[in-house]
Amino acid sequence: MIAGLLASVHKKSVLFQGESQSGYRLPRGLELSVAPLTRPESWSLLCKLTRETHKLLNRVGARGAVSRIDPIFYAAMSEGIEALGHISHMAQAFGVPAERVRPHVLDEGQQGFVFRDALLLHRATLEPVLDRWLLSLGVARAPMDAPLVLKPDGSTVVVADDQGYEIGQTVLADDGAILGQLSAETWPAIITAHAASTVLTETGKPLPGRLMYQLDSGLVLSQQFRRGLVALGPGAIEQVGQAVAAGLGAQRIRQAGQSSYQRIVAVDRAPVVGRVGGTGPDLVAGFGLSGAFFAPAIARWLAGTGSPEEKEWFAARLVDRDAALSSVAEWGDPL
Amino acid sequence: MKDQPDRLQSRARHFAGSAIIRSRPIKFRLNGRTISGFEGDTVLSAVIASGYDSVGSRDGCPLALSLRHAPAVLPLAHRDNLAKALPMERTPATDGAQYVTLGAGRLAPLSAAMALIKPSRSLDLDLDDPQAMLQPWLDSDAETGAETDLVVVGGGIAGMTAALAGVKAGLRVTLVESSLSLGGYASLYGSQEGEEAPDQSIQRLVAAIAQDHTVYVMLGTKAIAARPGTVRVHSVGMVGGVPAGRILDIPTRCIVVATGVIERLPVFAGNRLPGVATTLESYHLAQQFGVWTGKTALFSTVSNASYRLAMLATDAGVAVGRIMDGRTDPQSRFIEFSKAYGITMASGTITGEAKLAPKSRALLVSPQSSLHHPGPAETALSADRLVVCGGWQPDLTLWHMAGGESQWNPAGRLDPILKGPAGIALAGSAAGYISHHACLRSGKAAVAQVLNRRSISVEERLIDPIYETPDDPAPSARSNVESPAPAYLDGGQSYIERPQRKRSRWPAWLPFGAKEASWSLADMPHPLAIADIVAGTQLGAIPAQSAGVVAQERVALIPVGRRDFRAEKAAGRSPDGVPAYLLCRFGGESSICLKVSSDNRRLEVGALIHANADESDPHKAIGVVMRVKEGETLALLAASALTRGSAFVREGNSPIAVRLEASA
Repeated sequence: MIAGLLASVHKKSVLFQGESQSGYRLPRGLELSVAPLTRPESWSLLCKLTRETHKLLNRVGARGAVSRIDPIFYAAMSEGIEALGHISHMAQAFGVPAERVRPHVLDEGQQGFVFRDALLLHRATLEPVLDRWLLSLGVARAPMDAPLVLKPDGSTVVVADDQGYEIGQTVLADDGAILGQLSAETWPAIITAHAASTVLTETGKPLPGRLMYQLDSGLVLSQQFRRGLVALGPGAIEQVGQAVAAGLGAQRIRQAGQSSYQRIVAVDRAPVVGRVGGTGPDLVAGFGLSGAFFAPAIARWLAGTGSPEEKEWFAARLVDRDAALSSVAEWGDPL
Repeated sequence: MKDQPDRLQSRARHFAGSAIIRSRPIKFRLNGRTISGFEGDTVLSAVIASGYDSVGSRDGCPLALSLRHAPAVLPLAHRDNLAKALPMERTPATDGAQYVTLGAGRLAPLSAAMALIKPSRSLDLDLDDPQAMLQPWLDSDAETGAETDLVVVGGGIAGMTAALAGVKAGLRVTLVESSLSLGGYASLYGSQEGEEAPDQSIQRLVAAIAQDHTVYVMLGTKAIAARPGTVRVHSVGMVGGVPAGRILDIPTRCIVVATGVIERLPVFAGNRLPGVATTLESYHLAQQFGVWTGKTALFSTVSNASYRLAMLATDAGVAVGRIMDGRTDPQSRFIEFSKAYGITMASGTITGEAKLAPKSRALLVSPQSSLHHPGPAETALSADRLVVCGGWQPDLTLWHMAGGESQWNPAGRLDPILKGPAGIALAGSAAGYISHHACLRSGKAAVAQVLNRRSISVEERLIDPIYETPDDPAPSARSNVESPAPAYLDGGQSYIERPQRKRSRWPAWLPFGAKEASWSLADMPHPLAIADIVAGTQLGAIPAQSAGVVAQERVALIPVGRRDFRAEKAAGRSPDGVPAYLLCRFGGESSICLKVSSDNRRLEVGALIHANADESDPHKAIGVVMRVKEGETLALLAASALTRGSAFVREGNSPIAVRLEASA
């Protein structure tokens, strides 16, 4: 989305290196218009950007990739329940309906909030539409295995299809790209890489909500087509599998797929943007559940055309910020 | 033999049934129906011999009963105890036993009564019910088995060679084989000039293992999970004369995976109808149990092994109408022999569609040119059975579970990356070897690899392709919108269908015209068999470079040896202090914690605090209710609030007047 917006709205010449894998790979994240945010400026931006992103998706022909959903955020531990209170009140303050989940719906000791009418993007449907959109915009594509020579000034040389491209500024907008391109010497102190896993299970009983996020463990459960369940969370496959089993109680469900990968998170769990070392490639990381909805603002910020509110928001979340006393820290998954 | 219509005669030379004792007939009941067989049969072989060739219907279309698609059975006395479930294909048939299938338990008496009125060839399960084909042993807890040095999974020639090499190296060896006898499928493929014949190799290796009492052989045992250091198996054995299942975690230093190959299913409409069977399965049932469905057969193949099976079937009295070969002008010694048998052959031809003939057991098979341009419509052929072969895929299921990797081979299969997890190695055709010589040698090489000894080279000795045409990738027929039966990618339980364009009188480019069904393999809520992945790659749904990683992602991983991560996670969390996500919210370090209270109600954590009742802008909040601790409600506030005695907490639309006091 960022590549397309830079090419279309901001008239940049863009080369995109990435692959649409959602049709056959297990997801590594979800695109939801509500997130466990506690900062008013983040909710304010997210609410505005949700409307803008929805319009954009309709415009590019991805109407079918957007669905309305009532996700449930829940917790059982005291810290999680407290955070849940802060998140839900902040959401309500910005007009997002959040209702307390009736006690019998969740397990004993758990408390939850259901966020009404959120938007969920279906990646497997969205990606082919975005691919066609990028093609129509004349965005050049580099294959995933095309070698990329990243220079300290943020520029890059790529050879794709026997053609050399000199890129003025590189944007690393994906955890895999950051892990693959940043060396240990240039690795910013604010971000860390942690193991995370996705587990797909066979058909089970219906969940209380089609999408559930457990704050204590960082586990996201998404009920899929024919009641299959996708679980994403921090830790190894076994760890996530065990968390799913614990969450489903007596119900025994067989794993139908699993993958483990590295996820980039900020030490203070807030999003991270900006140029590595002040002049290097731009990083976009740590946006969590709502990353896609921030795309229009990220594109504006990269193009230098953001609103004062957006500029202020991004300036506070620069990659060179001090994590020791962060003024932008958010609730985040335990690691 | 009237009660066993699909049992070949005892005089069928190769297909008399090496495992059965014809002089000892048995009878047992399944879903209330009487099944006849012989001692040595499995429940599945006896059921098929008794004329049942369909499991039931899925989306209204009947599906064949096969080695890879058979329901679990429960002893009637334990019909509600899933822990007693047994796999039909690994359970020895015993006289007088009474079983019910998992999905038909309640309907069994009705089904038996209906069978008396109208004889059925189906077990009549509702395959739209996910419980119908449940394999409860995959989710059950395991006992810990006896520790061993080497577990060899697969009792074919490579597995047996590996077991004996392990013994020679001084290891305690456990050999795990899913069928009820050792040997595998090597004898179907034949040998080359100057090589030991496969039957001789099998006899020699079986005898050596029988003499060597240090190899612990577990027949009827399927390895269902593996990771370095442990193999989980489900074993069916006789306990007090009654078959019983057991799940064991076998601790082991080394593992050799010699699981052989999975036969690919050519993709055409009706490729899993009753009467359609694969080459390996047909050979196994005929050779072991003398079971062959029907009197007439057609073959549709891309592999030379099918010609050998066709000859053996002809020897057993089956009328082979035609062998269709997707390859153009294939060459093989088996093809030359088949010509001598007088079998009609059609090269460059694949199966376009199979349909059930009305009011008979026969299939109507429509041939199709394997070339890309559609030729003239060919007349449908009729036969009791269609034996198909879409080539071979190394069975890397256990390898992927254990952490092994694979990569796409442009020949249309996934090949293993042989350097895998520590202590685990592949052998035989699972490692991608084809020739008899290489499979035998690879057993020794695998043991050397897991013991970190000097590597043993494995050389393939293949006949020149001029004389022995290599197998083609599994063919895929042109999509037929008229066909009522789906085209499946594999013969197992994943039921992935090739997406089919719906029939429409409007052209596809119109907004309301027929569209290709969307096909997201990522959304399928069940594991994908390796053959599904390979077929999906051939059909363009998975990029070739991602096929290996997708196969690893979508294997049905069973956790072996659990750690309690919850206890680890619970440690190290501190409930004290201002949470990080509230730091600097109200003036950086100068924010303060105060006690907040209201006469009327208990305040909600997270509610924003404002200086006046009219204010609702969250940006202008002066504080927030932070937590309730030991009956005290604490708020985080801007330092300026210290001088205030009161404020307003906003919960929903209503402001609540509150007192602010210093906290104890």
